[in-house]
Amino acid sequence: MKRLLGVALGILTAIGGFVDIGDLVTNAVVGSRFGMSLIWVVGVGVIGICLYADMSGRVAAVSGRATFEVIRERLGPRAGLANLGASFFINLMTVTAEIGGIALALQLVTSVHHLLWIPLAAFAVWLVIWRVRFKIMENVAGLLGLCLVVFGVALFLLNPDWGQLAGQALAPAVPQTENAAVYWFYAIALFGAAMTPYEVFFFSSGAVEEGWKTKDLVQSRINVLAGFPLGGMLSVAIAGCAAVVLLPAGIEVTSLSQIVLPVAEAGGKLALAFALVGILAATFGAALETTLSSGYTLAQFFGWSWGKFRSPVRAARFHLSMIVCLLVALAVLATGADPILITEYSVVFSAVALPLTYLPILIVANDPQYMGTNVNSRTINVAANIYLLIILAASLCAIPLMIITGAGA
Amino acid sequence: MNRPQHTPARLEPAPPTSGRVLDAQLHLLDRQVIDVDGLPVTTVDDLELEGVEADIPIAAGAAAPVISALLSGPVLGTRIFGGRPPSSRLIRLTWKDVSAVDVTIRLGVRSESLAESWVERWIRDKIITRIPGGKHDPH
Repeated sequence: MKRLLGVALGILTAIGGFVDIGDLVTNAVVGSRFGMSLIWVVGVGVIGICLYADMSGRVAAVSGRATFEVIRERLGPRAGLANLGASFFINLMTVTAEIGGIALALQLVTSVHHLLWIPLAAFAVWLVIWRVRFKIMENVAGLLGLCLVVFGVALFLLNPDWGQLAGQALAPAVPQTENAAVYWFYAIALFGAAMTPYEVFFFSSGAVEEGWKTKDLVQSRINVLAGFPLGGMLSVAIAGCAAVVLLPAGIEVTSLSQIVLPVAEAGGKLALAFALVGILAATFGAALETTLSSGYTLAQFFGWSWGKFRSPVRAARFHLSMIVCLLVALAVLATGADPILITEYSVVFSAVALPLTYLPILIVANDPQYMGTNVNSRTINVAANIYLLIILAASLCAIPLMIITGAGA
Repeated sequence: MNRPQHTPARLEPAPPTSGRVLDAQLHLLDRQVIDVDGLPVTTVDDLELEGVEADIPIAAGAAAPVISALLSGPVLGTRIFGGRPPSSRLIRLTWKDVSAVDVTIRLGVRSESLAESWVERWIRDKIITRIPGGKHDPH
């Protein structure tokens, strides 16, 4: 019974924890401009993240090595450092975006300008990382994030023309108002949002934090295979709401208030309250995950002591580096930079960095010295290699498409 | 199957020889070093060999060089960008302290006593201990 509850809790946490500010913004933007015609990318991204999150969790559970230790060991110091530089930079951008997201959500609730909320949001993130136990932190944020289900409910309440939505989703085509380059640019952004590298850093380091062993592999796999696709459904619902309400009205998504507009229209104040709690939990949870991930990547590359399962004095450099990251994020946001814009860039850069993260995981997941008999099966290797090609293509096209389209303008 | 009668069903593995072959690049460099309490100390940034001079070919029949220390610290920078730090700047972890080499390198001593961990100790004592709750054990 306890085991069953553990599985259920794991799945619910994975669903609620899947969506972050990147998914929220990108899905709403895409829904409002392309209807459901880009939704297939969410599916492609979810399968990819399932495949590689499962692999990194397996490596961590069997060998006790988290992703970035593996990256340094396999790529050596030079390529490893280049990888660290890119991953850390993108991660820091995501931290900034998530903290900005918390502040924007609080602004929606209180009408107090988001710049005033930013220091408080960053402090709260630090306090939770400093004091709260890993398990509690993960579960509370994940469960509250489930409030985002209200986007799905709203989609039903809006009573859309389902046939038309399904038609757009199943026979994707570039809308007449948009050109092909912009379509593919947003496809890559959506892919980057679904497969953000920090998810893998966090997932594998979390496995070490929680002391997973080989016997926990089944539960980890269930969490991933059930939780992530259901989390992906939330993304689809967000895009769906935008496609039904914002697209016909010609409203462009430039702030959080437009993202929640369809929910308010469909379900009134109560639904809006759920959406706001959900967005707050999702961005706060993701802020915790990304801040921890920046500490994890640095500590694992340089071999420092890390982990929330140790007291801060026993992982001093790890905690100090996270404090510095939060201060940098604060400094960037204090310039008045638009968090939504930072988010849009962060998902595209995530797409650029994807191969750096995923290739070493694939190599080590096939190394018997680490994995013993738990090396990848042939089926997983075939799928993983196909994904590596997709990831590589997305990564190579991201920057050129960004320049050609003026970042999707 | 036509197995001769006295052949055992499974062959015993060959008895271990006196040493183990370790590939420095594959099994030592860039591996995580963990102390006797399970606390991560550093990553192996470079190795120090004894019994071999740089740039001088080893004569045939000479004694094999041995690893004297695992190095860390500024040597990572020179390993990436080239050059060699002065010998006084190397942070050494003597090979005598190594107790096992596996997916990680384990030490038989506590990290507290090592030169390796001075930065960690400094940050701990000057910054982290001074923030309220820094000593709080999460479990």
